[in-house]
Amino acid sequence: MSKKIVGITLIVLTVAVAIAGYVSVTWADKFTKEDQERWQAEFMTVVKAGRELWTSPTLGTNGVACAQCHPNAANTHPETYPKFQQQIGRVIGLRDMINWCLQHPLEGKAIDVNDPKMVALEAYVTYERRGVALDPGKH
Amino acid sequence: MKTLLSGTLVLAALLGLTAAGVDNAQGVSPPLGLPPVPIPEANPQTPEKVALGEKLFNDKRFSSTGQVNCAECHKAEKALTDSPLSVSQGINKLTGTRNAPTVVNAAYFKTAFWDGRSPSLEDQALHPFVNPVEMGLKDHQPILDIVRSDPDYVKAFQAVFVKQGEAVTMTEVTQAIAAFERTKVSGNSPFDRWYFGKEEDALNPAQKRGFELFVNQGRCVSCHLIEQTQALFTDNRFHNIGVGINNIKSDIPALAGEFIKAGATASEVDVKVLTDKRTSELGRLAVSKSMEDIGSFKTPTLRNVAVTAPYMHDGSVKTLRDAVVHYNNGGVTKKGDPVNDFLSSGIRPLNLSDAQVDDLVAFLESLTSPEFAQLAQATADSKKEK
Amino acid sequence: MTPGTVTRRDFIKGAGALAAASLLPVTSVELAFADPAENFTFAYISDSHIQQIKGAEFVRNWDRGLIRAVAEANLLTPKPDFVMFGGDLGQLGKKEELDHGAEMLSKLNYKLHCVMGEHDYYLDLGEYWSKLFGPQHYSWDHKGVHFIVLNSILTNDDWTLRRWPTPEQRMLEMAGLDNPNGSPFMVGEKQRDWLKKDLESVKKETPIVLFSHSPIQKIYKGWNFWTDDAEDVQALLQPFDTVNVVYGHVHQIQYNQIGNIAFNAVMATAWPWPYPQTYAQAESHLPKLTVPMNRANPFFERDATGWQFIGVDTGRVAVHYRLTNNTDRTVAFNRTKGRPEDIDYQDKAKEIPPQDHY
Repeated sequence: MSKKIVGITLIVLTVAVAIAGYVSVTWADKFTKEDQERWQAEFMTVVKAGRELWTSPTLGTNGVACAQCHPNAANTHPETYPKFQQQIGRVIGLRDMINWCLQHPLEGKAIDVNDPKMVALEAYVTYERRGVALDPGKH
Repeated sequence: MKTLLSGTLVLAALLGLTAAGVDNAQGVSPPLGLPPVPIPEANPQTPEKVALGEKLFNDKRFSSTGQVNCAECHKAEKALTDSPLSVSQGINKLTGTRNAPTVVNAAYFKTAFWDGRSPSLEDQALHPFVNPVEMGLKDHQPILDIVRSDPDYVKAFQAVFVKQGEAVTMTEVTQAIAAFERTKVSGNSPFDRWYFGKEEDALNPAQKRGFELFVNQGRCVSCHLIEQTQALFTDNRFHNIGVGINNIKSDIPALAGEFIKAGATASEVDVKVLTDKRTSELGRLAVSKSMEDIGSFKTPTLRNVAVTAPYMHDGSVKTLRDAVVHYNNGGVTKKGDPVNDFLSSGIRPLNLSDAQVDDLVAFLESLTSPEFAQLAQATADSKKEK
Repeated sequence: MTPGTVTRRDFIKGAGALAAASLLPVTSVELAFADPAENFTFAYISDSHIQQIKGAEFVRNWDRGLIRAVAEANLLTPKPDFVMFGGDLGQLGKKEELDHGAEMLSKLNYKLHCVMGEHDYYLDLGEYWSKLFGPQHYSWDHKGVHFIVLNSILTNDDWTLRRWPTPEQRMLEMAGLDNPNGSPFMVGEKQRDWLKKDLESVKKETPIVLFSHSPIQKIYKGWNFWTDDAEDVQALLQPFDTVNVVYGHVHQIQYNQIGNIAFNAVMATAWPWPYPQTYAQAESHLPKLTVPMNRANPFFERDATGWQFIGVDTGRVAVHYRLTNNTDRTVAFNRTKGRPEDIDYQDKAKEIPPQDHY
């Protein structure tokens, strides 16, 4: 390589490094403790929303709330999903069982998977079950 | 450790199932949508035994009048029922209290009869012979006399069981009949081809909508099982869905108490439930003596239901639409009637619209196996003519 | 018989009366008692939670539970001596709910005694309930047994009288089992004084059966499976030879022995509750003795609900749980071990899969 090209390459590289050092957001693995705490807090707002729904008498049509049979989301076994759900006759995920409960004990309508209510319910249920090992398929 | 153990058990079960998959009625795979036929170890299938069973099934001499055979209520041309009769007719056209269930796919039930009073096909075959409103024999001796002396039977029993004379008993007779019945399995319906065979066009749009209702709003799937790899359409359990029980509501305490005090044997139960309509409505209580089973009857399979009208244990529900409407009403035939106190807790009003009811009926019609397709067409045509 | 196994003979005195009382004539069961007249049964229906949706529309599920329990209780042969209602007749203590529930209970063919539950109490402090059913705590004697009913769902005056802006709000807050705004149950000093006086005239050998809504134990505070002054109440009962506490509120099978007191929980007719140990984030103290009730199938709304008939023989209580859509269970007093036990499943080796699902 000619000295000139080497020289220009070096200058370009140096400038690039300087710019990169100045504009640090291009590094994917750079997030801070504050970021983590902020994101965890974001998550907890959805958990809180899920808790509101969990105790709400308006999810179905008969005034029954999830919390009446599942205080603190107990006995929902989210760690066992997906599994063969006997009442439905096929392997399903947690959200399908939530919809089953909405339709049957709560005599309401299923909610769409994209509805923010669904992820809020899932967030609350799994949060109350945190720490329990996954056991997919367990009846 | 527990997970490892249960995982190993599941694996072992799967392997066992695979091995059994080849061992069925006639060495062929079960029909699409059905698991292998359960064959008891004590009664293996052979073509000769099946043929003998068929002969016994059709033999009219095993009745007091010489006019009634098993086929009287389980006619080959009627998908092994006596449709359109509500309740069956035995000797001298005497009527009982129960609708004849189809023999088709009966091999998959864990008990026989609407109240499950019989634990097997072999045991079931014993009872109609000696029931006063079915074949009317006093005991099984006339049957034994015939099979021990008729040359064709003597030859057949010798070939199949290596037995003759006194050694030929009702055990051998009923084993042969049961073996024949175990060949009467049929799946491969349009539903099976669509659900298990992944044939997109096997069902029309109404039937597909009906399927969605069957597994969601209609709640049917919880008792009329459809599973991941098979669909028996029955949970083999007993439920009170509010048919017939309303006729004896105020009599329940007296009827139940009397019945239990009598301490009836199995055969006595068989006679009583077919000859006394009011006792018949007690359902499985007559067998289990448990409060749990007041007015409960076995979940039948829905396969081929389009050709087995009329419906329910007493044949009181005439059409599929009537059946769906009964469920839609929450377990009463006339909307708004009070439900009985012992109604199964899975039954409740469904809030289906008329169009949804039609779709569910369309779905039920898709459960007819190809061998009965013509019969289904003829049944539908004759209804249109009316 | 291998040593250490439980035999039916350990139970026969308690459970014998019960086997009889399920549609079988009494003569078909052997009762080997000194004086058959001393032994009797009573029915126990509890926790119906009749819930109004609007107007004359009530949650059908809970209505069906109470209707079935009443219809089945009326079929008992031989007839029970009386029937208890264990509390929580309504869900929010409304007049409509209590009336609707009382109407269903009126179909029972036996004399009815009622226990107060928190869902009946916190709307109007039991005013309407008392109009329907009488005093909130009382006692009576029957066939040599001293029966006591306590209102054990009270809480401190501050929470009850000053904390909430409206009675409706107060009721709503207490209605949520897992509501952190709730307040622990107690019998309270006034009733403990009444109990002390009541027991003064009871002989040491007289069997005592105490009916309470809360457990008179400390099981799990987060769900108010709790009586704050449990030890004080237990101390008052300590001098007596044979004491049984029967409690509701928990909507599940529980049983325990503390000192001289045998504890038995009853089922709800409305809906089951999970065992506290299924809440992964909290420590609870479910009596180790208890073999859990069988796993429920939520499609069958009555599964894991039920009612019970209770036999009293020579002062010991045996509870037969009539569990709809499920296998009935019997918990009777094991005289050899001196504690209540499940007559079929107490031995771990006899457990069936539906009892092991956590």
